[in-house]
Amino acid sequence: MPRSTGHRDATRSVVFAPLDDGAGRAELVERRIGDAIVGGLLRDGERLPSEAELSRSLGVALVTAREALESLRDHGLVRTRRGRDGGSFVTYDREAAARTLQARLQGHSRIELRDLAVHLSAIAGTAAELAADRASDDDLESLVAIHHDADLRTEGGARRALLRFQLEVAAISQSPRLVREEVRLQAEAGPLVWLCLREAEYRERTAVARTEVIAAIREVAPAAARSAVLSLIDDATGWLIDEKLRLETGDPA
Amino acid sequence: MTATTAPAPARAAEEVAGIVEDLFTTVDGWRRRLEAHLEAAEPTARTLDPVVEEFAVPAVTDDPLITGAGFVAAPGLLSDARWHLAWWLGSPGAEVRRLATVDDETSDSFRDYTTLEWWRIPFRTGARHLTGPYVDYLCTDDYAVTLTVPIVVEDRFLGVVGCDALVDRIESRVLPGLRGLGAPAALVNASGRIVAATDARREPGAILRLDGLAEALAPLREAHPDAIDLRLPGGQAVRSCGASSLALVVG
Repeated sequence: MPRSTGHRDATRSVVFAPLDDGAGRAELVERRIGDAIVGGLLRDGERLPSEAELSRSLGVALVTAREALESLRDHGLVRTRRGRDGGSFVTYDREAAARTLQARLQGHSRIELRDLAVHLSAIAGTAAELAADRASDDDLESLVAIHHDADLRTEGGARRALLRFQLEVAAISQSPRLVREEVRLQAEAGPLVWLCLREAEYRERTAVARTEVIAAIREVAPAAARSAVLSLIDDATGWLIDEKLRLETGDPA
Repeated sequence: MTATTAPAPARAAEEVAGIVEDLFTTVDGWRRRLEAHLEAAEPTARTLDPVVEEFAVPAVTDDPLITGAGFVAAPGLLSDARWHLAWWLGSPGAEVRRLATVDDETSDSFRDYTTLEWWRIPFRTGARHLTGPYVDYLCTDDYAVTLTVPIVVEDRFLGVVGCDALVDRIESRVLPGLRGLGAPAALVNASGRIVAATDARREPGAILRLDGLAEALAPLREAHPDAIDLRLPGGQAVRSCGASSLALVVG
């Protein structure tokens, strides 16, 4: 039946779609920061921006930022100290982190996970393709530097290197829109898609992909650059879906 | 046609040079104001920021080309802030804001700005530099060029002062001149990256790949570039635009 509503209504439905995915603003803020803590992008003990700074940089009301911080505190991911050197600090509690991840993974269907990967592939793949055509020698040098600085010993280190590399590739594509979308999507999909970086084997895999992308850009080979990025995202998604199935069959509760 | 002394390509090149030169002249004025303050004993971020704000805020508000302006201190120069950026941003329809930066070296968000082109090259050469066009994702996500001038007092490198200009605003200023040349024309930077072009297939941001062009542009990568006026094997004319480090490719 919905198909018979025709072309015009499909357009209208896009125009008037909810501005975010339906979750409350505070919940979105909480998820963004929570994911960064769980994924190791924010380190144990690191000070978070103040409520006022958060509200400014994320573009949300002060009360929304406060609500999100309170909720993070309730979940044991953040603690607040009062006084002159006070503020909110990351507390990395392995158990709390594992619970958060598990809930996130189980909250997404297999179709949703695959779709997230398709979206990320479209953006990151096109960025790599364009970058191969548009990189100057200086650009290549900066990619090589990020690759050399990568710390693959920890999940957080591997993710930081991956993020910086992908963002730099997007910047080299010379497209401000691709950069914005890459940032937005890495924030939204990154914590899930790159869960495989908990395993050393996959951290090494990201280094291989970087080497391939750098070589493709050096040879001005757009198709090869795209395919190197896509195959990494594909491997990561494969791990994710396996993990989801394992969690669901191994842990019926 | 009106009688002119200079041939059309030369005039177009001069026009581009003039736009960039005007921006550098503005920045040079800021450099002199800052030098006076930096020569004083023990400069601090607290005392320097208001001096920067005084020229940066009017610049991003009033100058139609400038969208960012400020001063970046050499690490360790200021006694109250080891790493320090005083940079203001402004665009039409948005409030002027100061660039939020992370000065804590132990934080993951910290970026060592001495590795970035707009710092690195003036530091190495002691001369002014035009960086870009590039997507400024640390700052505004805009497609911009950044002009930086080193501040050197008694052989000490104290930092850079500079401004950002949006590429599409530069494009709208130079395109009429390029269109009047009667042949496809492109304005490129020292890496051959297109800033503006009359041909739809030569996109801004792409690298212009022509036989011999990379070699022809090599002088532009010097601190004080020699003038270029030559013809490529494919017949295209290449002409540098004053001391802007940009060049015009016609044909």
